[in-house]
Amino acid sequence: MGAEMSDQGHSTDFLYPFLEGQETDAAGLLADLATSARSKAAESARLQEESLAEWDAGIEAAGRAMAERFAAGGRMFTFGNGGSSTDAATMAALFARPAHGRPLSARCLAADQAVLTALGNDVGFDVVFARQVMAHARTGDIAVALSTSGSSEDLMVALAEARRRGLLTVGFSGYDGGRMSVSEDVDHCFTIRSLSIHRIQESQALVGYRLWSVTQHHLEALQNGAPR
Amino acid sequence: MTAVVGPQAGPVTMIDEELSADLAGAALALARRFHAGATLWVLSPQWEPHSHHVAVEFVHPVIVGKRALPAVALVAADLVAETRIAVRPGDVVLAVAGADQAQVLDVMRRAPAWGVETMWIGYGDRPAAGAASHVLWVPSDDPMVPATGRFVLMYHLLWELTHVCFEHPGLLTVPDDDCTDEVCITCSDEGRLGEVVAPPAEEYAGALVRTATGEEYVDVTVVGDVVPGDLVIVHAGAALTRLEDSPQVGQWGPR
Repeated sequence: MGAEMSDQGHSTDFLYPFLEGQETDAAGLLADLATSARSKAAESARLQEESLAEWDAGIEAAGRAMAERFAAGGRMFTFGNGGSSTDAATMAALFARPAHGRPLSARCLAADQAVLTALGNDVGFDVVFARQVMAHARTGDIAVALSTSGSSEDLMVALAEARRRGLLTVGFSGYDGGRMSVSEDVDHCFTIRSLSIHRIQESQALVGYRLWSVTQHHLEALQNGAPR
Repeated sequence: MTAVVGPQAGPVTMIDEELSADLAGAALALARRFHAGATLWVLSPQWEPHSHHVAVEFVHPVIVGKRALPAVALVAADLVAETRIAVRPGDVVLAVAGADQAQVLDVMRRAPAWGVETMWIGYGDRPAAGAASHVLWVPSDDPMVPATGRFVLMYHLLWELTHVCFEHPGLLTVPDDDCTDEVCITCSDEGRLGEVVAPPAEEYAGALVRTATGEEYVDVTVVGDVVPGDLVIVHAGAALTRLEDSPQVGQWGPR
């Protein structure tokens, strides 16, 4: 580590004393970092607001459909790759163990390394989620896929399998929406319109939270026998 | 400033002036530790996916060309035992956890004996002053904070700012006169925190004690019987005091 540091101290450094390894005052950097943090957080907040506004009706419709499935005994399966797999796990945990509201059957399909490595090694990575959908899912269940590109092959294969089995399918995408946003296998797709993977994930989390909130609301109404 | 319609109601500030300064300080500290060869160990007993997200963020950056940095999620049932054997002096431990998490509090109070720097992301009531080297606290007590992207934003920013620091190589080493950390024993003849590895093998022998500088035999005549895991203050080759076994208090004793 630090191998790239070894060429500092060139004889031309005196021409650009502020550019390279001679910099010694951290105060300026710390101020820049703090400014950068606030500006990125502001951009994240702007994108979150924009995303909630754009998908307001879609979240309402998806939440209502999910509530109906949960009320009828449906279960939710979430999946994604890399950081999105962890966000899928967080979303499953939100549905399964919320701080308040009704706990629902929700599970992340990226959680079991034995299953993932068995499928990835024996068959291929493209089927790591689809084969689990085959094994676990029943008509009436819910599949939720998270991706920042909207085009990961393993997610698309799993969503197609979920569609074949009569699941409700929900996708979270980014950039221009990718394959997920135009796929007939996806009932509800929420595309976060940004080029930053970080900002996309932060907005997906809030849209997912809103989806949970709407689902809880409709589930409560269903239980109380209120008109939908 | 940064406002968004929060999950409950009303606009909230995601990163205020104070938190942005805390993040900046943590990022520079983390970059310096990585530069010196550190591994980042991540604990999130209540919300394990967050620890995995941090690990993959650093190991496999989403921005092509950024260097891969060693970060590991620790998810064992006994986090204190797992962290104890994982960390090496100079490493960094990051917790994403509430201030009431007993295992995290215990890891944090032992950290000086292991020679590691500590960071703590959370929300609600803040940990006691000094509980971690860097406290990055969301100014909200909404129990839904962990699921709304606030923590994700926080560690994304920590990653982004850490990589900015690598563009300033001159600032990646700590000048000697900046060294005020409790892990730097050369600056101070204060007692050092030690964790007992093994009690004395025989009467009048020393106990094997782990401190920030490694393992050493320490005279425990003053503190009496010790067992593995006991925390003691070591000075000049002897244990002067044994800390009470209470993870509910701050790093060095009662608040």
